[in-house]
Amino acid sequence: MGAGDAMKDLTIRNLSKTYFDPYAGTNVTAVHDVSLKVEQGEFVCIVGPSGCGKTTILNMIAGFIPHTGGEILVGGRPVKGPGPDRGVVFQSFALFPWRTVLENVAFGPKMRGIRKVEREKIAHEYLALAKLTEAAGRYPAELSGGMQQRVGVVRALANEPDVLLMDEPFASVDAQTRMTLQEELTRIWQEKRSTVIFITHDVPEAVFLANRVVALSKGRVLEEIAVDLPRPRSWDALNDDARFKELSGRVLQLVRSA
Amino acid sequence: MKQFLLKMWSHCVRLTTRWPSIASIVPFIPVVAAWWIVTELQIFPRAFLPGPAEVVRSFGALVYMGILPAYLQDSIVRLAVGAFWGVALGIPLGILVGLNQRARTALWPLLLFFQAIGDIAWLPILVIWFGYGLTTITVVIVYTVIFPVVLNTVLGVRSIPITLHRAAQSLGASRIRMLWEVVLPGALPNIVTGLRNGLGYGWRALIATEIIVGTSGIGFLMFDARRSGSVVEILLGMIILGILWYIVDSWILAPIERATGQRWGLVTR
Repeated sequence: MGAGDAMKDLTIRNLSKTYFDPYAGTNVTAVHDVSLKVEQGEFVCIVGPSGCGKTTILNMIAGFIPHTGGEILVGGRPVKGPGPDRGVVFQSFALFPWRTVLENVAFGPKMRGIRKVEREKIAHEYLALAKLTEAAGRYPAELSGGMQQRVGVVRALANEPDVLLMDEPFASVDAQTRMTLQEELTRIWQEKRSTVIFITHDVPEAVFLANRVVALSKGRVLEEIAVDLPRPRSWDALNDDARFKELSGRVLQLVRSA
Repeated sequence: MKQFLLKMWSHCVRLTTRWPSIASIVPFIPVVAAWWIVTELQIFPRAFLPGPAEVVRSFGALVYMGILPAYLQDSIVRLAVGAFWGVALGIPLGILVGLNQRARTALWPLLLFFQAIGDIAWLPILVIWFGYGLTTITVVIVYTVIFPVVLNTVLGVRSIPITLHRAAQSLGASRIRMLWEVVLPGALPNIVTGLRNGLGYGWRALIATEIIVGTSGIGFLMFDARRSGSVVEILLGMIILGILWYIVDSWILAPIERATGQRWGLVTR
């Protein structure tokens, strides 16, 4: 990335979301005055229990739902609806079942008008990055959950977004696969240095992945904790690491006490 | 006896695994045999229930005279034209109603209302408007095909997970491209179901319409045979209806389903 490139950072100022609950007949505030700055190339995890508003924040950054207060700036531009500058990885994978793995990954470049030969070359590069070359011609339904989510991650990356938004992407795969995917994600991130916002309720996962963990509760930011663990990170090394345990313990205490 | 049956069964299994198309003929063998036995036993007078051999002979004669091929062609062309327009109008309408809340509020009650007025219920007024001709037949077929196609398309469009819409949007798809890339393929398994129902109903409506307003076609053949008291030709007509539908279903609709919904894992095999 040269100096001339637009900044791929994210700024959230006093973000809030209030919606009307027709059943209760009252206004509910899901996100309350959240401010956050994510620098280019930073990996930030937002961690908190179910219903703390973390997915709502991500959906507002992605532009899927409107925010009711404050502002969201991506590379200095305010967010108005979904756009290819923010790639999204979904918990339910959200791969197109009628497209092969290759076509799924080439989808973003296709929408940008890149020619077939060119976009398939791009897709193959990214598939190789996630060790998915063998699966290129298969349909998503033929793959395991872990493989489907690998495709989900590289599909978002292949479109070269300014910011990568990940919504509990590993929550629906088994524990062993999840550890592998976490390690692969840190490896890919180190290679690509994307700006990542990663939503999770899993504290060790957040600490393992992030440069910085944002603890969230009841729609408010409790605290931001910098994670200074060395990279590359692997579970074998970190499982018994004192610093990792200390950080995880601190975040867990924060999230639970709130 | 048990030994014999088991042996027959194993033969049957071996034969059908080698030639799968035989498997679809096998179930008809006992039906035809029973028919043949009943006619041979002379339980009913021959004139009321002719046997398989007579029907085959009648088939040969009608083909030889060129009547059957001409009538068959008329019926199939009518169904094809009607089905084409039913699909060409039904899919866009279904997508509009499925995607647009306002269109759904406005059109859904109308759809349900007009669906209830069955195809043939339109015949009296259509005959007054358009006379005994192709226009009347085409309108009835289009009318019959369009409702299952529209209603199933709406169902299909609305069953697409919102995350797929969101994924496409955040990968940079415009609204127009979303139609082609997400909405249409996502709704396709349901559209095929709608088409299958629509063609089935349309085929029945065609025969009924030909009986009432036709001057040719399989329905006309059967009704004309009634006038001359030829039970053989009536039976022949009925058998042709069954065979034709079987061909449409297994040669056209089933392969589409295998290549789309089943391949994509959207419908269970």
